[in-house]
Amino acid sequence: MYASWTVKHKPSSLSEIVGNSEAIQKLSKWVNLWEKGIPKKRAAFLYGPPGVGKTVSVEALANDLSMELVERNASDYRTAEAVERFAGLASQYGTLYGRSRLVLLDEMDGITGTADRGGVRAAIKIIKEAKCPIVLVANNAYDPRFSTLRKYCLLIEFKKPTVLQVVKHLRKVCGREGIMADDRVLKFIADRSGRDVRSAVNDLQALAQGKKRLAYEDVSWLAERDRKEVIFNVLRTIFYSSDAWEAKKALDAADVDADMLFEWIYENVPRHFTDSRDLARAMDALSLADVYRGRIRSTRNWSLLKYVYDFMTGGVTMARERSKPGGWIPFRFPERIRIMGQTKGLRAMQSSIGMRIRRRCHISSVRAIREVIPYLRIIFENNAEMAAGLAKWLDLDEDMVEHLAGGKRQAGAITKRLAS
Amino acid sequence: MSFEMWTEKYRPQSLHEMVNQKEIVERLNSFVGAQNIPHCIFAGPPGTGKTTAALCLAHDLFGDGWREHLLELNASDERGINVVRETVKTFARTRSIGEVPFKIMILDEADNMTGDAQQALRRTMERFTETCRFILICNYSGKIIEPIQSRCAPFRFSYLRREDHDDYLQSIIEKESVKLPDEGLNAIFEVCRGDLRRAVNTLQAAASLGREIDAETVYSVVGRANPVNVQEMITVAMKGDFMEARKRLRDMIVRYGVAGSDIIRQIHIEVFRSGLPDRWKIKLADVIGEIDFRMTQGASEEVQLSALLARMREAGLEIQRGS
Repeated sequence: MYASWTVKHKPSSLSEIVGNSEAIQKLSKWVNLWEKGIPKKRAAFLYGPPGVGKTVSVEALANDLSMELVERNASDYRTAEAVERFAGLASQYGTLYGRSRLVLLDEMDGITGTADRGGVRAAIKIIKEAKCPIVLVANNAYDPRFSTLRKYCLLIEFKKPTVLQVVKHLRKVCGREGIMADDRVLKFIADRSGRDVRSAVNDLQALAQGKKRLAYEDVSWLAERDRKEVIFNVLRTIFYSSDAWEAKKALDAADVDADMLFEWIYENVPRHFTDSRDLARAMDALSLADVYRGRIRSTRNWSLLKYVYDFMTGGVTMARERSKPGGWIPFRFPERIRIMGQTKGLRAMQSSIGMRIRRRCHISSVRAIREVIPYLRIIFENNAEMAAGLAKWLDLDEDMVEHLAGGKRQAGAITKRLAS
Repeated sequence: MSFEMWTEKYRPQSLHEMVNQKEIVERLNSFVGAQNIPHCIFAGPPGTGKTTAALCLAHDLFGDGWREHLLELNASDERGINVVRETVKTFARTRSIGEVPFKIMILDEADNMTGDAQQALRRTMERFTETCRFILICNYSGKIIEPIQSRCAPFRFSYLRREDHDDYLQSIIEKESVKLPDEGLNAIFEVCRGDLRRAVNTLQAAASLGREIDAETVYSVVGRANPVNVQEMITVAMKGDFMEARKRLRDMIVRYGVAGSDIIRQIHIEVFRSGLPDRWKIKLADVIGEIDFRMTQGASEEVQLSALLARMREAGLEIQRGS
């Protein structure tokens, strides 16, 4: 029988919940106050990103304290009347059978109305008159619609657990399911979920159900696929949508590194903007985006980042006037990144030779690379005797000599003279 | 067997040995006579003797132990103004022993410093002015902020005159017993245009080939030392092949370490040398100038320059269409 692991392995006690210990403590302290009468705040408002354990904490707490839990969610909040209908539930502390009651209003983000009308007003009314603890749950407690409501509530923030805490939970689930998985795999899943425990458990189930062992190779392909798919989607929107800001939205939604995306756009623009005027305009937009990147770099003022986005998304989109989409053109990996990778060794070598030249020649290493090394190459390739003298004078090591001589044979001739 | 780079071996040691920049040398000599110098800015194109003049000035001022009194920093190599400030602090803390009561700090490629760094430098200059005099060396004094400029004595270096260039190379070839016929000498001047560092490096590389240095030898050395061909890149772009033009640009920057400012200067020169209609030259000058400015603000020279190539392609295709 198929059962969702998020339900199957849901913590039944507060002690099993990962992370947020402070928030949980605050919550249970407040619920315990009710033993001694009605506290000043009759409701607690739990807020925070999805999948961090807000609802689960309330359920586990009710379970730990053997309270009767009455749960309502978005579908119950559609109208003010619908909300008012469960007012009666909150009007008494205990149940007929002597158990105390806890009312949970989950998914408050979906409620209608404001403080003056609709569901929110009805909720405020219920809280004001509540005789038992009411817990509200939402992603964003600072939604303006909740501004009055907040005054009646004890605010408790739930934060994302750490990756290690998520891993700990995943490991427990694996243990119960009899799956062997090394920490690297679990860490990968935790990272990929953005520390959303619910989504991490779902991913784990999708990857591991029916297996005895989960290896890194089983999951690593996901990373590359995710990233490429996301980037391709953004590129498609930027290059071919007619709405400039749709492109910007695509980028906001994508959560890819801005510099990386810039490189992808920069690489692929010429293939997709064939008309010369369109291309010039698209490249001009990238040039302006780059100007703002430079300004961020020199002023460290990251609030300028939005302008980088404006130009690299909307600016490029709007450049298309005459280019016709010419069939399917694949997106190519940024050549510049590949080249920088390939030439890393070369550039490091040049830079260390540049430093040696700098010591002797009253010139910066950067300029030495441009203005001295090209001549040294000619000398080292053609005149072993002069090269040996210069190698000694500049204090070059064997690798540097070989680099300048352009090969082992000539380098050998030079080092032979050096030794004699 | 002993070899050095000839640029160092034949670098003048004293102001009296300098072959060019007569007026500048005269003024610097008067500083030596007075045993005092102000803060200075030496501005001018590469290979015209700015660093040499600064070193000679220190030599003549301090005599034998001149190196003790001199510190050379390079703004392109020293990361950040903090390094400069800390170094100056330590260096200037100890007073000079001897007749001259200050030390000299040469800050090369000062025009590569950001505005903020220059502001900080200005305060440092003021604080230590008693014990330390600065000589700022740069290609363009316009890139030095006004408050620093107003505190410095300006010196403008220009490209060497033909006679000075020839005299200097002649004295080297005599000492190195190299054969340099007139056609070779002409070729070197034609290519290097009075940039003496480049001329001497070209001469030494040509001499390493072990044959008479005729014009052909010079051109082959220059061709190999400068695999960067801006003119071809422009032609490729204007004929419509943007991808190829961008690839060449990338090669210049990544493989050969050419500075964006050098490339754009070259593009500017080539556009005006070309056979393009005059009104297009001036249109392109506007674009080149704009990109030149954006490069000073932007993060990537390649991105800026390829935006320029895209504009040149647009212009090229439009000219072909006969508009």
